[in-house]
Amino acid sequence: MKLLHRLVSVMGWITRRDVAEKDLNDELQAFIDMAAADEVRSGTTEAEARRRAALRLGGLEQAKEHVRSGRHGAWLDIVGRDLRYGLRQIRRDPAFSAIVIATLALGIGVNTAMFSAVDAVLIKSLPYADPDRLVMIWNQSTREGAPKFFTSPPEWKEWRRLNTVFTDIAATQPGDVSLSNDGEPETLPGRKVTGNLWSVLGVRPLLGRVFTEEEDVTGTRVVVISHGLWQRRFGASPTVVGRTILLNDKPYEVVGVMPREFYFLPTRDIDVWMPASFSPDLLKSWGWTDVVSVGRLKPGVTARQAGDAMAALNLRVSAEHVKPPRSAVVSSVREDLVGKTSTSLIVLLGAAGAVLLIACVNVANLLLSRGESRRREVAMRAALGASRGRLIAQFLIESLTLSGLGAIAGVALAWPAMQFLERLVPETMGVRQLAFDWRVLTFSVVIALTAGVIFGLAPAVRGAVFALQERLHDGGRGHAGGRSHVFQHALIVIETALAVALLTTGGVLLQTFQQLRQLDLGLRGDHLLTFVTPLFRYRTFDERVAFVNAELERIRAIPGVVQAGGISQIPLTVKDQSTFYLLSAQDGSEAREQVALSRVVTRDYFSTIGASLREGRFFDVSDVRSDAPSAVVNETFASKHFPGRSPVGERVKFGRLGAQGYWYSIVGVVNEIRERGVAEDLRPAIYRLHEQADQTNDHPSGFVVRTAVPPASMITAVREAIWSLDKHQPVARVQTIEDIVIRQLSVPTQNTVLLGAFALLALTLAALGLYGVLSYAVAQRTSEIGVRMALGASGREILLSFGARGLALTLGGLLIGVALALSAARLITTLLYGFEPNYTGVLAAVSGVLIAVAMLASFVPARRASRVDPMIALRQE
Amino acid sequence: MEKLDIPQGTLDLMILTILSRAPMHGYGITERLTVLSQDHFRVNPGSLFPSLYRLEQDGKLKAEWRATENNRRAKYYRLTASGKRQLEQHLERWNRVSFAVTSVLEGA
Repeated sequence: MKLLHRLVSVMGWITRRDVAEKDLNDELQAFIDMAAADEVRSGTTEAEARRRAALRLGGLEQAKEHVRSGRHGAWLDIVGRDLRYGLRQIRRDPAFSAIVIATLALGIGVNTAMFSAVDAVLIKSLPYADPDRLVMIWNQSTREGAPKFFTSPPEWKEWRRLNTVFTDIAATQPGDVSLSNDGEPETLPGRKVTGNLWSVLGVRPLLGRVFTEEEDVTGTRVVVISHGLWQRRFGASPTVVGRTILLNDKPYEVVGVMPREFYFLPTRDIDVWMPASFSPDLLKSWGWTDVVSVGRLKPGVTARQAGDAMAALNLRVSAEHVKPPRSAVVSSVREDLVGKTSTSLIVLLGAAGAVLLIACVNVANLLLSRGESRRREVAMRAALGASRGRLIAQFLIESLTLSGLGAIAGVALAWPAMQFLERLVPETMGVRQLAFDWRVLTFSVVIALTAGVIFGLAPAVRGAVFALQERLHDGGRGHAGGRSHVFQHALIVIETALAVALLTTGGVLLQTFQQLRQLDLGLRGDHLLTFVTPLFRYRTFDERVAFVNAELERIRAIPGVVQAGGISQIPLTVKDQSTFYLLSAQDGSEAREQVALSRVVTRDYFSTIGASLREGRFFDVSDVRSDAPSAVVNETFASKHFPGRSPVGERVKFGRLGAQGYWYSIVGVVNEIRERGVAEDLRPAIYRLHEQADQTNDHPSGFVVRTAVPPASMITAVREAIWSLDKHQPVARVQTIEDIVIRQLSVPTQNTVLLGAFALLALTLAALGLYGVLSYAVAQRTSEIGVRMALGASGREILLSFGARGLALTLGGLLIGVALALSAARLITTLLYGFEPNYTGVLAAVSGVLIAVAMLASFVPARRASRVDPMIALRQE
Repeated sequence: MEKLDIPQGTLDLMILTILSRAPMHGYGITERLTVLSQDHFRVNPGSLFPSLYRLEQDGKLKAEWRATENNRRAKYYRLTASGKRQLEQHLERWNRVSFAVTSVLEGA
């Protein structure tokens, strides 16, 4: 009741402010009148009576201020008043305000946009039940520094049976399939998954049901499809459940459709999930490592405990089957989804934060400078009864008003930036769009408030303290105390240092990016079209060889095609697909340890892509199907096993085929082709001719076509050529090598562009800050300069003294910035793709640019100082 | 004669007591206070008005503009029912406090 009463009263005061103010004024006036009237009655003159009465009130304005600040809700009123006052200040000096708001908008906008990416990738909850309790389980060799690796079906089975830390473990395997019902045949990215995947992840379908463990074990042909496929291929029809579709020419019943937001490792683009239905043979194949395992932690078990338990368990169960036995590691689902991107994001968010800090420092400097010219006004307010706290509060509210406006403009700026940043989201993740959600908005509000306090506090405290010290007697002439300059100079040094750190880091990334661009890919990338024709319709080795050769013949016949070849994996795209091998000089035990990339190619492959030969020969017509086939190895393979001598003539055997395995003779060494991707490490690789590769399942379903015309223009013709041979043959993943390179470099490109942009922004802001402070110092000290010149100082001396100050500040910032950049170096190592950064070069360039910019920024005000006319300057006194 | 400072917390009590006799304007309250305290207290308007406004906001007082006996306009404050209750409570507490203080001082 009491509260309600107060609330009504406070509201009344706020909404009927004019009435309330007039009321207060009238009442105090009435007080004076009555007091004066009494005095007159006791014999004082009218004028003296009024004077005494007013004196008794202790000043009309102060009394009013007391009443106002004594009321409930007074703070609301005060904030409102300061807000209006702040807005009036902003309107009074629109140019100044525009600069401040624009600077803040840049800082806040950049951070909001960056944070929306961080939010989407690192914070937003994953679409599983209790995602924090899910972990991925990987295989790991006991070798020092061995990377984590996929699991084999028997490991999954044993882990599931024997572990004590998970409620359950599910597994998935690659399972791309071709859909060939109605419409054009197409290849769908798919996974073969164990029946318990759904319960382990805790997900439900949008329509229909998921398949059961029993269906998995019995090998029932059922399939769950993605929301995307359902929309695209089945017109979002609810009757899709129960329909039969042809996958790899076999009938499967669609039992369910997953919701739009569902995705799981390894990529977000999976369209079909089928039962894994591991065969008894596969469940004994310890070398068949293509399984991704995910487990749900038992209540109370931590990921670390699970990791230790799984490592011990796998060492035990694998000991009977592989030598040396394998260990295991666990990792969080998010870690595997996000991968390297988290480093990029954190570095970029840090850079954005530095930009905001520079913006704040700049604004603080601007406000400090302006504060000097407002001292008179502030002193007046102090004289009218404003306490120090009130003055500080007023300054802070002014700066918060500025940062609030900056935040509004910043959010508007962030919007387009977010579209650009969407490309930072890794392809593994289901998030496709960056959105303003409550977290992003909260973040903007928090950084705007923080920024307002950071840049507002120093000017506020200074302004208030000065005002109370000086009152009105210092005629308002600005003679800035020495301390104020020290503070402003420190701010300049800080922002210069931040700018230098950003420029240096940006420079190192740019250097890396150039090195990546200049990498020798081992092939000529222009005019090369690639695509894949899955060969599931051709069951035997001979059928496949015949079909591939027929395809190549048709393609070569297309006008505009220069050359065509086939390979089992399109170059630059597949990181693994490797094989164990054994050299003739080795005994069998080494075959378990050494792995090389395995590629099966057609005769014209190397010449089509423009690979170059280091020694020996490529495949030719003399290589026919036999039990003494040929192989080509890459340089890494040659230098690993045959350093300083030629491997030509040496023999190598594949996999663990034992005595029946062919011995391949090495006939040539090819200069390194970046099979695994532009920025990936090189690995030993063995190439075989498809007509001789009858002992393994690899076959050249990938094609590379060298064209005389722009390769994209050949796509239709190539498709038709293949469909003229077999109209049910899917043609998938059509892309040019140049597309592939651009896509692979998109992450480093993005990092470089963004960090570069942040660094330039920082440099510009720092230069503006330096310019502002020096200009202000010149303006403030015009009369001093006049005196010096009147006493005989030359314009040149004045120019040098101001220029030297600018330079000293810049050098200070440079030194601290270099130290900052070097200490941040470790943070960015994963963004350098293994290249050794040349800091000396980058630092030299950064110093050069910085000093040039700083000279310019100090020269203009210094020159203005040197041109001061002593007569005019002194007359201003 | 030197004026005394009004002890913390007693200004409200005195205002309420004065207003419990009859509605009064701000100047009248200061005058009555001076007279009733036999010139020991003189309340500063800078303290009086904030108290009046706060009591009004809390619903203890109600104000209205009226003509004075000298035909001026002034804002008259009068006690509300809730103000009366507050006065009784405060009075009771004040009596206990002053009794207690006096007892201590006399018994010591």
